[in-house]
Amino acid sequence: MAVYETDLPGVGKKFEIDLDGEAQLVIVIHNTGKRELFLRQTPEADSEKVFELSDKLARQVGTIMEGAYFQPIRDDQISTVLDDETIIEWAKVTAESSLIGKTLTESGIRQRTGVSIIAIQRGGETIQNPPPDVTIEEGDTLVSIGDRESHQEFERLAAGEASLDEPTENGEQSYIDES
Amino acid sequence: MAETPLIEIGAMFVTVALAGAIANRIGQSVIPFYIVGGMLASEYVLGTLAPLTLGDAGVQIQQPFISESEFIELGAELGIVFLLFFLGLEFSMTRLLESRDRIGKAGVVDLVINFPAGVIIGLALGWSLVEAVLLGGIVYISSSAVITKSLIDLGWIANDESSPMLGTLVFEDLFIAFYLATVSAIVIGSGDLGEAAADIGVAVGFLLILVVGVFYGSEFFQRFLAIDSQELTILRTVALVVFVAGIALLLDVSEAVAAFFIGMGFSSTDHVDEIERLLTPVRDVFAAIFFFWVGLGTDPRVFVDLGLVAVLAIAVLVTTPTKLVSGYLGGRIYDLDERRSLRVATGMVTRGEFSLIIAATIAAAGTGPIMTETIPDLTVGYVLVMSILGSVLMQYSESLWAVVGPYLARIERDQVPTTD
Repeated sequence: MAVYETDLPGVGKKFEIDLDGEAQLVIVIHNTGKRELFLRQTPEADSEKVFELSDKLARQVGTIMEGAYFQPIRDDQISTVLDDETIIEWAKVTAESSLIGKTLTESGIRQRTGVSIIAIQRGGETIQNPPPDVTIEEGDTLVSIGDRESHQEFERLAAGEASLDEPTENGEQSYIDES
Repeated sequence: MAETPLIEIGAMFVTVALAGAIANRIGQSVIPFYIVGGMLASEYVLGTLAPLTLGDAGVQIQQPFISESEFIELGAELGIVFLLFFLGLEFSMTRLLESRDRIGKAGVVDLVINFPAGVIIGLALGWSLVEAVLLGGIVYISSSAVITKSLIDLGWIANDESSPMLGTLVFEDLFIAFYLATVSAIVIGSGDLGEAAADIGVAVGFLLILVVGVFYGSEFFQRFLAIDSQELTILRTVALVVFVAGIALLLDVSEAVAAFFIGMGFSSTDHVDEIERLLTPVRDVFAAIFFFWVGLGTDPRVFVDLGLVAVLAIAVLVTTPTKLVSGYLGGRIYDLDERRSLRVATGMVTRGEFSLIIAATIAAAGTGPIMTETIPDLTVGYVLVMSILGSVLMQYSESLWAVVGPYLARIERDQVPTTD
């Protein structure tokens, strides 16, 4: 999924987003705040205008799209990028995961992978800043913060592709737990 | 109170509002309509009617036309200042430098094909070199305002052809700022040589101060508008722009160029969006007065003069193809296919506000009948033709492609040996 940004002097900015196949979504943001959405079926085709939105409406629609009001958690991870180094991810604990029944301390997630668990979503409720003695249950969604590499290891743990009993893929990491 | 009856100014706004409504209705650019509105309301057309007497009350309208009052002239001048201020505001040096390679190439192609075409026409007519160079600038500069609006209206803005078009316009805008500075200094200072040299010295000095101020004064521009009041923001911006433009005119420097540099000074600050939002309506009002004033000072009867019509025809017939060629090559420089390059070609044909600004600046300062009469009249006719022709060409570019596409493809095949 690539996003191309182009300056349009005197008009605003253009963003081209690769969709599935050859199609591209083109968003033109005008200096006036107006957003125009186009769809381009193939690289050679002309962009067909789909609709335009005012600045205010565009922000509302964008918030809905981002999932601020309803965030369906699918089995695959969703993430929010804070900067090049840091992402926040939501990972579901599947039935096969060796994390089930372990407290946060016992699981040693932080020492092992480098990510920190900042919240646990369980049955419509969110445990913020979970204490170290919280037990991880099947179906929990663990909200974690860390870099991409640490997350790859952590995702495999949550999905049950890797077990706490095995050594980590990229060798035993030694993260110093400051807490 | 004022010398100019308020009703005249009211009538002027009624005319431009009507003209704009008609233009929008038939999907054309507003500029030619404002000009024609000015022509129709002038003493040359409306003024030929007899004085009106309304009813028995004896209310007499002695003068049923809109005269070229001082208010309208100053309004037109402000129109020029704000148009160029906005040009500077949207002008980003960093942006130009980022894609300097392609913008530079496409811009140079555009310059070396179109500018000499105008100069050659002027020289062929027996004009002096300075007059020919003025014509060169008038036929070279495409209309940023009309082309940008057409791009958005046609939805081309989301396609690849928008980049070479907007890029070329950026190059043209920068060129025209320096061009205006140079030619206005030469034309204004065309007295005796010693005086001219001093004039040009002062002008260049003033512009240098402005340029240096713009490049080192970003901190000042940033702080100048760091206030939390819309009203004060508008007033401060207008004050700075108009005052500096006024000083420029006092020193015989083009007020348009001064405004351009002030705009450039703000272009690197965080206030650009706010200024654009607040001042666009101000610019639009005064720009409309400028185009109206251009029409007001033009007697439509000059277009019955076969000599002028012949020159106009030559200018149109020569400089339409030159823009088509340079635009097409510009598209190819940006690696577009033949069809999109043809769109770039049709899009660059439109000439508009800047050709008129060159003519107006020169007519005010020039000497001799060619500078004060022929060039202004010719430019009005030229812009009327080219702005409408350009919009029409853009709208029918697909039909044009159906006709010339096969030929273009063949030319390309013959020229470029395939390396597949």
